[in-house]
Amino acid sequence: MIETLPELANVVLQGDTVTGSPALEPSAAAAIAVGLAAIATGYAQRGIGSAAVGAVAEDSDNLISGLIFTAIPETLIIIAFVTIFVV
Amino acid sequence: MSATGSSNPEYVNARVRSRRAALFAEEDYRKLVRMGTGEIARYMEETEYSAEMNELGARHSGVDLIEYALNQNLAKHFNDLLEWADGPLHEMIANYLRKFDAWNAKTAIRGVYSGASADDIKTDYIRAGEFGDDLLDQLAAANSVEEIVELLSDTIFEEGLADAYEEYEESDVLVPLENTMDKTFYEHLLDVADGRQAPNTPRGLYVEVLQAEIDFRNIRNALRLSRTGTDLDPDEYYIEGGKLFDEGELQQLVGSFDDLVEHIRESPYGDELSAALTDLNEADSLVSFEQALEAALLEYSDTLSYTYPVSICSALSYILAKEREIENIRAIARGREVGLSVEEIETEMVVL
Repeated sequence: MIETLPELANVVLQGDTVTGSPALEPSAAAAIAVGLAAIATGYAQRGIGSAAVGAVAEDSDNLISGLIFTAIPETLIIIAFVTIFVV
Repeated sequence: MSATGSSNPEYVNARVRSRRAALFAEEDYRKLVRMGTGEIARYMEETEYSAEMNELGARHSGVDLIEYALNQNLAKHFNDLLEWADGPLHEMIANYLRKFDAWNAKTAIRGVYSGASADDIKTDYIRAGEFGDDLLDQLAAANSVEEIVELLSDTIFEEGLADAYEEYEESDVLVPLENTMDKTFYEHLLDVADGRQAPNTPRGLYVEVLQAEIDFRNIRNALRLSRTGTDLDPDEYYIEGGKLFDEGELQQLVGSFDDLVEHIRESPYGDELSAALTDLNEADSLVSFEQALEAALLEYSDTLSYTYPVSICSALSYILAKEREIENIRAIARGREVGLSVEEIETEMVVL
């Protein structure tokens, strides 16, 4: 794969000179940023969520704090959402 | 639930910590020590143990009721643990809980040897280990020790059991059989963890706790042998896998009590045990030192569970703490039954 990289770069550069537009539009880059942030949020919530379910199973009084802690990683995706309005 | 897939330490940790918090605290023990057996039973009915006390209340009474309720509760909690845990975590927990397989196998052998009925043997089981109900029932229904040895040949305890059985046939004492099983359990402890883990990782620390347990077991055996001055061969009781003693080293150390104490003092455990070692030199009894060993192990596993919450360590520390609680309550109940004083019972307990 590495051997084909220079060739691929050439093709990309040529395309650039022909059409005059970048390989990745700003809005596409923003979409990738938001998507990665969503994956990160999911990963963080996986651990917190399973711990919260465990705590609630032992004592249902923990439901509220469990919910709050599970929701905290949502801030990641909310902040990433800003990217869309910036570009 | 199964040994496949990935571990789920977050879930197990949350549940275990909640149960850990529900264990009896020092003040509960202080109350229990001053109660009679009937009062202890009633106290237990109001706590964690109520389901078991009610269930067994019709069939047993007094100290037996307390003891069976404790065992059943222990089995319930440890089976829960196995049910929650997935993947490698499940394997590690199951591996440690084989301790109860060893206990159950020994119970069966002793029961059959002494001619107890199958039902009696079954009530004495702690159904927390890997053995299924079928195997346990077969063990209890066995007619001879030989049959039990055969039934065990499909399990990890097969190792060395044939030799021990020959020895048993010659001498007609159960000690070789029981020793072999305990040794097998301890030597398989490190199987899952595969000994060569990097230090300061959760796995590495798990190995350290297990090594500490093996070391403490060796220390205890060595001190007992040394104190009683018997001419038993220490290597027979030596358990492999620890860090403290090498095979053969035990032999010369057991000969001299002072050398042995010095060896322990210079070991990595020396700091934690130094106060207990000083006591040991002054007092005649090993009891308080052995309790100090237990307490040190408990404290050590506890520290680890705070350092690495998302690992096997918190489950392991819960298992150890729960076992201690069961033993403490049993010590109180039995002690009160035979009329020991509060102080005497307190020396038998391990409270952090």
